[in-house]
Order: sequence, then structure tokens, then C-alpha cells
Amino acid sequence: MRRDIFQAIADPTRRGIIALIALQAMTPNALAENFDTTRQAISKHLQILTECELVVREQKGREIYYSLEIEKMKEIDEWLEQYRLIWEGKFKQLDELLAELKEQEK
Amino acid sequence: MKPAEASLPSETDVLVKRSFDAPVKLVWRAYMEPELMRRWCGGHPGWSMPVCEMDMRVGGRYRWRWRSDEDGQEFGFTGEVLEVDLHERIVHTQIFDPGELGVSMGGEQSIITVTFDESDGITNVATMIRFASKSDRDDALATGMTDGMEVSYTRLDKLLTEV
Repeated sequence: MRRDIFQAIADPTRRGIIALIALQAMTPNALAENFDTTRQAISKHLQILTECELVVREQKGREIYYSLEIEKMKEIDEWLEQYRLIWEGKFKQLDELLAELKEQEK
Repeated sequence: MKPAEASLPSETDVLVKRSFDAPVKLVWRAYMEPELMRRWCGGHPGWSMPVCEMDMRVGGRYRWRWRSDEDGQEFGFTGEVLEVDLHERIVHTQIFDPGELGVSMGGEQSIITVTFDESDGITNVATMIRFASKSDRDDALATGMTDGMEVSYTRLDKLLTEV
């Protein structure tokens, strides 16, 4: 099954994981301590994030550390930013219109 | 006012939030009256808004169309009003009509919920766009809109030079 970045961020626990590993690489056990869920559930989320190519795994000794693929996250930001800017363009015009309507009411 | 915020609360949704320095009754009018709507949705340089028809009662329909000054190409949106709670909430369907631009933005209709909340003369507006499927949403975010919304980029370019 093909997965993509939007699927990765659709789940609140996965968003939580992303926020944590954005700061530092972490093991599944360390991650699990931050959530009210099982270690297995965290592993499943990490698997999905890996398939989405949003995280990278690195073996250090006996532990596997997960860290965030920042470049991949930027893709989401860029798409959303374009969308946001389109709305902001309209809203700036709405600001002007509302200022005018307020003036008329005085 | 702080610029608009956009987020992806679930697989099929996009949420856009913005606050306006005006009481809700004025913001409401800007969303409900076609002649006001045309003022803020239709002012893109190089494009006119030849159609802005809105019957904003439950069961009523609206139709917005934009036309390029340069080559006369048109695209637009149309939909049906599902819910109206005075000064609080508007829910309507929306389907993209590519006109002659020939771009796809997802064939299925989306559901748009706009909620208004005034405090101390500032009105917070949250626009939730629920697409029919995740792929419709991602198409709209990723590719389709970059063509269909060329309009807004022109406007954006102008905005950026003003800053």
C-alpha cells in the first residue's frame, strides 16, 4: 500500500511523535512514555511514518533511534502555505471592506 | 489582524482561521450579500467576477464565476446552502466548475462550514473545508489549485509589492 505525508499527519498520536522527534532522535520506548498507549501502537505509528518517508531509523548499539526527515515535512508546509496565501489575499480585501462598512455605520 | 492560519485537522479536511476587526453582524453581511461578496472575492487584477449570484437561505444556491480579462477564460464555484444560523454558522456544499480552464480540482462536492464568533468587537472566522475524499483534498492542495488559482497569485504578487 502506497502511503503519503498527508496520511502521516492525519493522526494525533503521529503528530505528537513528529513533534517529539523533531527535537531529537528517540527510541520507541522513550516515545511510548509520552503517550497513553502501548509500545506496540507506537511501533505501528512509527512503521506508518517510515513508509511515508517522514522518519529515518538509525541503529545505535542495541537501540533503534527514529528522527524526523525535515525536508519531507517542508513539502506539507509548502502546499499548505500556498493555500493559506490565497485565502489571506481574499481576507485582506475583506478587511478593507469591513473598515468601510464600519465607517458607514458611524 | 494576524494573517490567516491553515491546518489539516483530519484526512479530508482543511481548516482556515482568521480574525477581523469588525463586529460579527458586518462580517456576516460580507458573507451573505452578493454585492459585498463580490467586493472581496472578486477584486483580483486581470480578472472580473461576471457572476456572483447567492440565495443564502437553506436550500438556496449560489454561483460564483471569474473571467480572465486577457483571454476570456472562465472558472467558478457553485453549491447549495445547507444550514444558516444567524451570525453563527453557514454550511454549504461547493463544487468546482473548471469552465474552459480544463483543470480538475476533484470532481466530488466538498462541504464548507463557516463559523463566526465575536468577542470585544473582533470576529473570529473559522472555515472548515471537508473534501469528499482524502485524494480530492490533496489534489486541491497540491496541483489543481495552482492552475485554477493563478488568479490569486496575481493578486498576491501585487500584495507582496505593497508590503
